Amino acid sequence: MLGDLSLFRRWIAALLLPATLLAWGPVAAQTLHVRSALTQSGDALGTAPAAGAPVLPVALPDEWSRTRPGFDGIVWYRVTFERPAAPVDGSLLSLAIERVCSSFEVYLNGGLIHGGGRMAPPLTNNCHHPQLVDLPTALLRPGTNTIELKVAGHRREEVGSRWRAGGLSALAIAPHAEVEAWHARRTAAAVGFPMGASATLMLLGVFMFALGFVHRRQSQLAYFGALAVAYALLDARLWLRQPFLDHQAFELLLLVLLGLVTWTAVQFLLRTAGLRSQLADLGLPVQCAAIVLGFVLAGPERSSLAAQVWHAVLALEIAVAVVVHVRQVRRDGERPSRTILLLVGASALSAALQFAGQWTELPALAALAAPLLLPVALVLVGLGLAQQLGRALQAAEQTRQQLEQQIRSAAGEIERNFRQMVDLKVEQVIERERKRIAADLHDDLGAKLLTIVHTSDSERISTLAREALEEMRLSVRGLTGRRVGLTDALGDWRAEIVSRLAQTGIEGEWHAPDELTHELSARTYVQTTRILREATNNIIKHSNATRCTVRCGIADGDFQLVIEDNGDGIAPEVEGRLDRGHGLASMKNRAKQLQGQCLVESGPGYGTVIRLTLPLDRAAAPS
Amino acid sequence: MIAAGAPIRFRSSSPGAQMKTILLLEDLPEIRAWMRNLVLQVFPGATIHESARVQDALGVVAAVRLDLALVDLGLPDGSGVGVVARLRDLQPEAQSVVVTIHDDDEHLFPALQAGAFGYILKEQARELITEQLQRISQGEPPLSPSIARRVMAYFTEKAKPRANPSPLPNVSLTERESEVLLRVAKGYTLPEIGVQLGLSRHTIADYVKQIYRKLNVSSRAEAALEAQRLGLFG
Repeated sequence: MLGDLSLFRRWIAALLLPATLLAWGPVAAQTLHVRSALTQSGDALGTAPAAGAPVLPVALPDEWSRTRPGFDGIVWYRVTFERPAAPVDGSLLSLAIERVCSSFEVYLNGGLIHGGGRMAPPLTNNCHHPQLVDLPTALLRPGTNTIELKVAGHRREEVGSRWRAGGLSALAIAPHAEVEAWHARRTAAAVGFPMGASATLMLLGVFMFALGFVHRRQSQLAYFGALAVAYALLDARLWLRQPFLDHQAFELLLLVLLGLVTWTAVQFLLRTAGLRSQLADLGLPVQCAAIVLGFVLAGPERSSLAAQVWHAVLALEIAVAVVVHVRQVRRDGERPSRTILLLVGASALSAALQFAGQWTELPALAALAAPLLLPVALVLVGLGLAQQLGRALQAAEQTRQQLEQQIRSAAGEIERNFRQMVDLKVEQVIERERKRIAADLHDDLGAKLLTIVHTSDSERISTLAREALEEMRLSVRGLTGRRVGLTDALGDWRAEIVSRLAQTGIEGEWHAPDELTHELSARTYVQTTRILREATNNIIKHSNATRCTVRCGIADGDFQLVIEDNGDGIAPEVEGRLDRGHGLASMKNRAKQLQGQCLVESGPGYGTVIRLTLPLDRAAAPS
Repeated sequence: MIAAGAPIRFRSSSPGAQMKTILLLEDLPEIRAWMRNLVLQVFPGATIHESARVQDALGVVAAVRLDLALVDLGLPDGSGVGVVARLRDLQPEAQSVVVTIHDDDEHLFPALQAGAFGYILKEQARELITEQLQRISQGEPPLSPSIARRVMAYFTEKAKPRANPSPLPNVSLTERESEVLLRVAKGYTLPEIGVQLGLSRHTIADYVKQIYRKLNVSSRAEAALEAQRLGLFG
């Protein structure tokens, strides 16, 4: 995963800084500049110019295409200089050569002091390498000294670029210490930097290619990877000295690599815009073959022309691809990405500089920067693409996590629904069973009790059977387990008690708060109903009361019920020992079962007060 | 539970309305005999058609012009609710009274919806049943708190605005009728409510009758609509 944008910016700075710093430094002040020389042709093996070869004075820098059109072989450059009167600190003098193309040897006062590589084809490629040759003090004469440079090079017609054609730059003779730093800087900029760029692009390219290969839908990455690799190879021309191929084959290789760069660049631009072109898919590989064929057909004499034609064609293709890319992106309602713009801008500038360099002398900085712009841009674009991919992966990961979350919650929902369904099913089964039991009870037990009620001759048995029937009905009600609103329960109780008291001529009074939100469990409802009935029965049967007051209320989370009558009261011995027919014990027992209590206060002649207190437990709290 | 709405002390000296032909639907022979005895005491000289099964009773309803039907709910071959509904269809002026051992609204409410005009709990003492029967025949049906709550819930549910307005007749309770229902639900007896509202016993009884009538009308319309829907889609 790449970091944020600031890291990206730091990368840009790190890449550009050395390029600008190393580009050019002034040669020191004590320098002797050599701007002219005498030239003579020679042969590869000779240690001196060919005998009788005409002497031709030239100005430095010299280009063979100008001074010796069509020449191919060895040229000797002779310069003379006065040894500086007093070496500053006894240090070595050095000969600094900005450009010598392609291979060379240096002779001081007739003695060979430096070999720059193979002098016979294939030549060592020193064209982009600045040279620093120390002049041995022992060989220096006082007064006039002669330096001869034996240069082996190619004619302009045989090479694809002016920069690989034979020639020699101006020379400088200076104390070693003064030109050493200059040489190091120039080498770093002209050789070290391209080498680093090649390595970076190679790694990046392989990495991106692998990425694109794995993510087939991101085919532009694979093309970008191939582009970077092709360009890395192409850049090797700047730093690779050792000849490994015949010169013409090497030129062809460079041209084919340029064809590959174009192929991959065009495809990258198209694919990035989401386009696929059959013409490009087929035409570009065919074009690479055409390059080989065209080059061979043109022959060595016209290889430079062939190269320049191909350069123009390839540049045009890339330009067309850029236009197509931008149009497609615009059509999609987006703006071309900054990385693409950077790449296009850098290539355009680089191509323009290199084209111009073929015809005119470029400012030194521009000449140096021209081949460096594109690799830098490619590295940056590669990083940008990797960053985009990283973001896309991150977004995909987020999407995946969101999906996972959704799936999890959906699964939870299903599970919950299933559980609810099961609960519902269980409830339905219980309900059905309850109804069946209730129906059985009513049909069998109820019918028999009813028959007893209406056929028994004994009033006592009739009453007992009637009470049993009422009990049975209440039990069935308790079976439901359905909770009862306290207000509803109070309504039921009031209606029953007030009308029963009224039937026996006892004045009933009922006090209850309005609108209670509490609920009672089925069990509490049933048991409280029994306690109330028992109390009412006692009043009707035993108390001789004329008045009964019932007070209901909520206090301290308890449901409180007070039943008071003005009857005879209960004799202590009845309450304590016998409790015959009064059901006081069962009332207390029922209250205890509900975690409540039932207090009976009574005295003969003072009436009876029954205080029932039941906790409205958490389960019975307002729902 | 004993039916609420029984006045504290009500002794009717006037005989019940003229009930000449009566259907008695009861499966237990002893109880049926006991009931016949009781009915003859309340409505002397009445003709009593006895049935032990729903099928027999339906035959009687179709064949005989009835003034009153005393209908048990849990019968060997079905529920007495069907008999109540058929009687309401065929002889709207005849009165149905449910006589049952079920006191819960789950059993009673459907019978009331079908057109029953009150209910009597079988196990009550003879004199209580006599009194209730007389009162019902005079147009004073009983109404218990749980039934009152059920009726209130029914009309509240019906009054809810629906997405598709139903073509049902807009039967709704008046404010006074709702007031009476609310007080019954709280456990007040009908005479108590009469005192509270400053109304006579008869006026309160009229309200209760209206409530029963509206419940029946609305339920029948609903049932008809449901039948039509099933007929259309079934």
